[in-house]
Amino acid sequence: MAASLSSIGNVRVLSALAWSSSLCSFSGSRGLHVTVSCCKNRAARIRVGKGDKPVTYEQAHHPHHIGHRKGWLSQHTSNLKGEDGAAERTVEDVFIRRFMFGTFHGCLANEIVIKRRGNLLNVCAVMLQKLPPQKFYFLIGYTESLLSHFYKCPVKLEIQTLQDKIVYKYL
Amino acid sequence: MASRTSKTFLSLGRINIPLLGLNKSSGKATYATALSINFSSGNKGLPDRGGRGPFVRRPRREAGEPRTGKMPVDQDWTAVYPSAAPFRPGSVPLPVRMGYPVKGGIPPEKKGNLELIKIPNFLHLTPAAIKKHCEALKPFCTEWPSALETDTKCDEHFPIKLESKEYVSAGPSLRNPSVRIVHLRVKLSSLNLDDHARKKMIKLLGERYCKNTDVLTIKTDSCPLRQQNYDYAMYLLTVLYHESWKTEAWEAQKTVADMEDYSWEDSPSQKNILDVLLRMKVAGEGDGEEVRQQLLGRKDVQDYKDSVTRLKNEGESESSMLQYKEAVKKVFNM
Repeated sequence: MAASLSSIGNVRVLSALAWSSSLCSFSGSRGLHVTVSCCKNRAARIRVGKGDKPVTYEQAHHPHHIGHRKGWLSQHTSNLKGEDGAAERTVEDVFIRRFMFGTFHGCLANEIVIKRRGNLLNVCAVMLQKLPPQKFYFLIGYTESLLSHFYKCPVKLEIQTLQDKIVYKYL
Repeated sequence: MASRTSKTFLSLGRINIPLLGLNKSSGKATYATALSINFSSGNKGLPDRGGRGPFVRRPRREAGEPRTGKMPVDQDWTAVYPSAAPFRPGSVPLPVRMGYPVKGGIPPEKKGNLELIKIPNFLHLTPAAIKKHCEALKPFCTEWPSALETDTKCDEHFPIKLESKEYVSAGPSLRNPSVRIVHLRVKLSSLNLDDHARKKMIKLLGERYCKNTDVLTIKTDSCPLRQQNYDYAMYLLTVLYHESWKTEAWEAQKTVADMEDYSWEDSPSQKNILDVLLRMKVAGEGDGEEVRQQLLGRKDVQDYKDSVTRLKNEGESESSMLQYKEAVKKVFNM
């Protein structure tokens, strides 16, 4: 939400600057380039606190540990050299994560892992046993059929359930 | 509102069932029995509180023992993982641990471990599974023809080699524009060319010809379809072959600078060596055509001719320089 608002603001600032710089180009003023602040040192990090906050493995490791201590949540061939479709796959991934978060509200124990095997979209999730199994079955079927209609490809949901969230450490 | 949404869910179920192969009766029954079980204790009027509060609907069913506890040692593993599937801790009877340990701790266990789910696993490709795959594929395989045992025989019967690539990627679309590229490779020695045709062909090919391997490579990617590119490549080969056999009128104007190989006859080197020998008065007589012919026939002059031709054609190397040195020493009697 905040990112989208600031990006709109960013576009407005840049267009205003472009307009103003084209007007006063004869007077020789220098252009100013501004970007929205990226906060790269605060992204996806849970700050160390009193020691009573339970944190999963995924949350405990910061983004610079990806590739070293963490794997990738989403795998597809579009990020390889010479392959295209990376943007479409990323947008699909973002939508699928929000959809799952909303459909299985409060039941997700951890992040969602998305794997693509050719045409097949494999969504793996670890869930808490908050709903009775029949509701789970219904929501799984609903998700699979809705997503396969959206993306015109077979979508498979692989769900594992746990009693409680697995705590890696307390921050 | 609720009734409308429930109708849409039911209608969704009915539409999707033939596509996804769901059992029609079970889809309806699941929805119906969920309602009946939840309100079986007679609290039909009260909203669902999820098992909390004074009105507990039914005792929460505990999860049973995972399948790993009931697996015999000699089970058929291909039945547990028949195809590619993510890691299921309840189905894999191994005490696997994965992850960076907490300080003073050990890697987290497999239960609920997202790292094990993230990575691709090959649990469905054990040797037993691969043996089953091979057995299933064997009826569709045929023997390699016995007349094509060696590579040379393959080259002899099939001199033209075509190469094109297929691409598999993850995504809803099969299409890849690089699929249309076709490479055609032929050895010039397998084509029926005489000397003039071969030289003309090499000139026409330019950089498509590799001198070391004597292979001509034609790469076509200008047409949108692979079939069209293949036809174009075959057409190019045909045209090259026929054109190189024809002799045009302007080919008679070929100069020494156009020649591919160095030839010693009528070259400055021949003139120079004959002039030097005549001046040294080796033959003893004056200048004349027969004297020149006689000089040319001498062995050391022939050796000199071979060494110079070799130097010019093959370039400089240890052995060719040595040969030139020996020939020069012999000619000048050093």
